[in-house]
Amino acid sequence: MKAKKGQVSVMMGNAVTATVAALCRPDVIACYPITPQSEVAETISGIVADGKLDAEIVEVEGENSAMNVCRAASLAGARTFTATSSYGLVYMYDTILETAGFRAPVVMANVNRETPGIHAVSSGQQDLISTRDAGWIQIIVENNQEIADQLIMCYRLAEDYDIQLPVMMNYDGYYLSYLNEEVEIPAQEDVDAFLAPLKKQPKRPVIVPGAATGAGTHGMEMGYVEARYKHWAAMDRAKKKVDEIDKEFGDYFGRYYGGQIEEYKMDDAEIAIVASGSAAGTAKDVIDAKRAAGIKVGLVKLRLFRPFPEERLIQALKGKKAISVIDRSICFGWKYGPMCTELKALASSIGNVPILSYIDGLANLDITIPHIGRVVDETAAAAQGKAYQDITWIPLEE
Amino acid sequence: MVIKHKWIFKTEAPWSDANEKMLALDTGGWRTERPVLDKDLCNYCGLCALYCPPQCMRDKGDHYEVDLKWCKGCGICAHECPRKALTMKPEGDFANES
Repeated sequence: MKAKKGQVSVMMGNAVTATVAALCRPDVIACYPITPQSEVAETISGIVADGKLDAEIVEVEGENSAMNVCRAASLAGARTFTATSSYGLVYMYDTILETAGFRAPVVMANVNRETPGIHAVSSGQQDLISTRDAGWIQIIVENNQEIADQLIMCYRLAEDYDIQLPVMMNYDGYYLSYLNEEVEIPAQEDVDAFLAPLKKQPKRPVIVPGAATGAGTHGMEMGYVEARYKHWAAMDRAKKKVDEIDKEFGDYFGRYYGGQIEEYKMDDAEIAIVASGSAAGTAKDVIDAKRAAGIKVGLVKLRLFRPFPEERLIQALKGKKAISVIDRSICFGWKYGPMCTELKALASSIGNVPILSYIDGLANLDITIPHIGRVVDETAAAAQGKAYQDITWIPLEE
Repeated sequence: MVIKHKWIFKTEAPWSDANEKMLALDTGGWRTERPVLDKDLCNYCGLCALYCPPQCMRDKGDHYEVDLKWCKGCGICAHECPRKALTMKPEGDFANES
């Protein structure tokens, strides 16, 4: 069976998020506005106010309450939606941990922005990095169409009986949040059809008024160890599940994203660039241009960051002569960018090749075509045995 | 990895019946002192049972008796008893009891 053609129009990233979240029919929404996410909160509130979605909107005084509401509603059996960014994300940090530990399948859009420390109202992935060990599944998307499609897939993933984990879908604030782009919005009946298998699976436990049930409250000694082990194991299972859901989505809607990672011209590539988010889109153009100039380069777009796609990355990168990772965030305490540091943990399986770390695109500074071009050239030189810098802050060298 | 642990939770998420699993924390094991009742002083007012945090004072009809399986030995019952009928005694005094 195939989905029918959806409505195609030019839409802003944040409007896509709200529109598609509504198509997934959440029962409870608690969403506090914050730049660059505000249109998500505004738009989805409008959809409910107009009577187009039967959902409970809980108006909260901040993000901490928003996540508490979503977790509680989720434990009561509701499908929930929220969205945040940066300060909002860290303001709900304790409840993010609890939502994961309680295994509440909350879906949240995180519109990436730099975090507190330096008051940067600008794009960057530091907020995503600051919650990487929270026990959430973290997915990063590249463009507005991928926002629409991945958001639908997020519900399939979060609420899957084998997974039961919250999912954070990340997209670049400013770059995608305010970008107007052509997007095909799937029809309601097709979103319903794609989410329908969730109804056939075993029922997860829910809070029942009056009944003496409890969730997440019994983490003493071996109870803690057991709950953590099950959570850890579910994270591991999520990797394959992401691939399976992506395949099923592609078969139905006609758009595939590669699951955990997207490989772009990697088959015959001698060197590889690893990037994520909107920068991966720019990187594809650079790859095309450099290939036309005779450099056999490919791109690995990191879509799944938590759990880290160990097996898929090894498969894609094994045998390449040099690899560069472009990070849009900082790892305080390691020399390399966060994603590069993680990739280096796979070095023994990938091979003893140069792995170059690049920091770029902080605080709304563009990851430009010349920047990525430079990365490709330096990676190609490193592959030929020439000396290279293992860490480069691109904006500081411009 | 060979798991020898016997699963505590029936569910994937740490859910349980609060009447069972919460009490299964075996809070009695935390105790260093226990309340001992002087029945002659007790007038069955019930304040000890009202204040008991883990609610482990059992109604015996003419007095309340502590359930040592759950009593944490906090001493609130003894503190609140207006007739000083409850006294906290060190667990060491009962070391030879089963």
